[in-house]
Amino acid sequence: MSPELIRLIVEATGDTLLMVAIAAGLGTALGLPLGVFLATSKKGELFAAPAVNAVLGALVNATRSTPFIILVVAIIPFTRLIAGTSIGTFAATVPLTVAATPFIARLIEGAIREVDQGLVEAARSMGATPLQIVRKVLVPEALPAIVLGLTLALVSLLGFSAMVGAVGGGGLGDLGIRYGYQRFMPDVMAIVVAVLIVLVQTVQSVGDRLSRRLNKRLRHA
Amino acid sequence: MNAPVKSGAFRVEALLPGPPADAIIRFEGVGKTYPSRDSQEPVTALAGIDLVVPRGSIVGVIGRSGAGKSTLIRLVNGLERATSGRILIEGEDVTNLTEAGWRERRRATGMIFQHFNLLSSRTVFDNVALPLEIAGVPKAKIEAQVSRLLALVGLADKRERYPAELSGGQKQRVGIARALATEPKVLLCDEATSALDPETTRAILALLKQVNRELGITILLITHEIPVIKEICDRVAVIEGGNIVEEGETFEVMTRPRHPTTASFVEAVTGVEVPDYLAGRIHQQALAGDSAVLRIAFTGENATTPVISRLSAVIGVDVNILAGRIDAIGEKPFGSLLVSVPASEPELAAVFGALKSLDLKAELVGHVS
Repeated sequence: MSPELIRLIVEATGDTLLMVAIAAGLGTALGLPLGVFLATSKKGELFAAPAVNAVLGALVNATRSTPFIILVVAIIPFTRLIAGTSIGTFAATVPLTVAATPFIARLIEGAIREVDQGLVEAARSMGATPLQIVRKVLVPEALPAIVLGLTLALVSLLGFSAMVGAVGGGGLGDLGIRYGYQRFMPDVMAIVVAVLIVLVQTVQSVGDRLSRRLNKRLRHA
Repeated sequence: MNAPVKSGAFRVEALLPGPPADAIIRFEGVGKTYPSRDSQEPVTALAGIDLVVPRGSIVGVIGRSGAGKSTLIRLVNGLERATSGRILIEGEDVTNLTEAGWRERRRATGMIFQHFNLLSSRTVFDNVALPLEIAGVPKAKIEAQVSRLLALVGLADKRERYPAELSGGQKQRVGIARALATEPKVLLCDEATSALDPETTRAILALLKQVNRELGITILLITHEIPVIKEICDRVAVIEGGNIVEEGETFEVMTRPRHPTTASFVEAVTGVEVPDYLAGRIHQQALAGDSAVLRIAFTGENATTPVISRLSAVIGVDVNILAGRIDAIGEKPFGSLLVSVPASEPELAAVFGALKSLDLKAELVGHVS
């Protein structure tokens, strides 16, 4: 294999990691509060705002029901507004973040809703404010599940990132399509697939291990 | 010099009969109705509750599930809001307190739960520290306070453990330490021993009694288990269908239940059933040579008198004990005995007369040949 190809693969791996990292970072920063809010704002809950909850929930569902490749194209004006351009690796992080945020929000909502309501009641009985309940009870108790959810989101983002080649984003997916498929270089395709498998495996096993370490429920006397 | 009487209301209440006037919690005609959901009828959980919790006492509310006791206890720390009536805590009307006002109040009220509700992500130490963190207590003070409480509940060696590593009884001890962290005046116990085995239950009840006696903390507990009431409660209220159907000093209520619900609760611990081997042989019509089967109830002072030997001496018959249960409520003995006496109808009158002279309550169960 030529040094040129190796350089391309390393570069593409770097692009993929960068895009996924930025999208996951921003997606978590936005998705965490959104997820917590979705999990605590139905009728009778801590931050009860059923109307806002319904609107945000519908928005999240709308985003999530749009296939990623359609989303990428559909939000090009928004991408241009944020990134200044709609083409390239950096611009591609915008649709990735837009797709990641509602996904992460739903995963976090699910994790938070799994927390025993008895703990919320106990915290209320101590005089905790709703924010204290979120910070000291809901998020720490849901953390093992949140970590598993974020792991799932990272794996999904690795998959999504392969599609941004369509708008000139770089990365492993783009490399695989342009070289492996369009230029009939099956060895490149094989390497791209192998690198993606290694990345997914790594992310999954690190996430699993971290979640298990955080989970204190599994200990026994 | 006597301390000046601060409140006029206090003096008026002191003149009223009934429970001690220094009520730390007072329910006045408190009702709670949940609004209708979908097309269903509104649900009345509580209907006009009047209840006084004297300062420094242990008061138990007993009822079956759905009787309204969970709602009742949650009214005391504002986890539920009354829809009618008033609730006074230390003389202050808290019925219309805002959520912020309640948060302040809750820091002066501890609560423990049936399923402990400990945070699985926190160690024993950090669980007990939680209410102090919430109240914004500085770290150094938290350290001292939590250490002291863990020693009090006997868990000093478990401070770095996680709840999953503890037994049920240990978890409830953590719950108690946590509830006491902010040095509350009132401790609310929500079925605190219902998930524990009998032996652990006794140990936890002993700890609660110690907390009450040594720290002077008033305890309001709810339970469906009469042994809990019998073991530690000074006063008991029986709740049924959202109403308090009977209330009073534990010994009084248990030995002289007036309401059928109370009677059935009491029966479960102090009643003596006719043993199976005898049940089939008992008949209501006396035949010649039969023995009468009597159930004798003991209460208080007379439970310590040598009844059986006196009975034999007074009426000159042999008394055969078939079954019995003598127990104590608070520090007063209480119980019942099932005996057979060789007596036909005319002699029975003498036996009942003798029992009456000994101030014992007796009932005729039947005759056995």
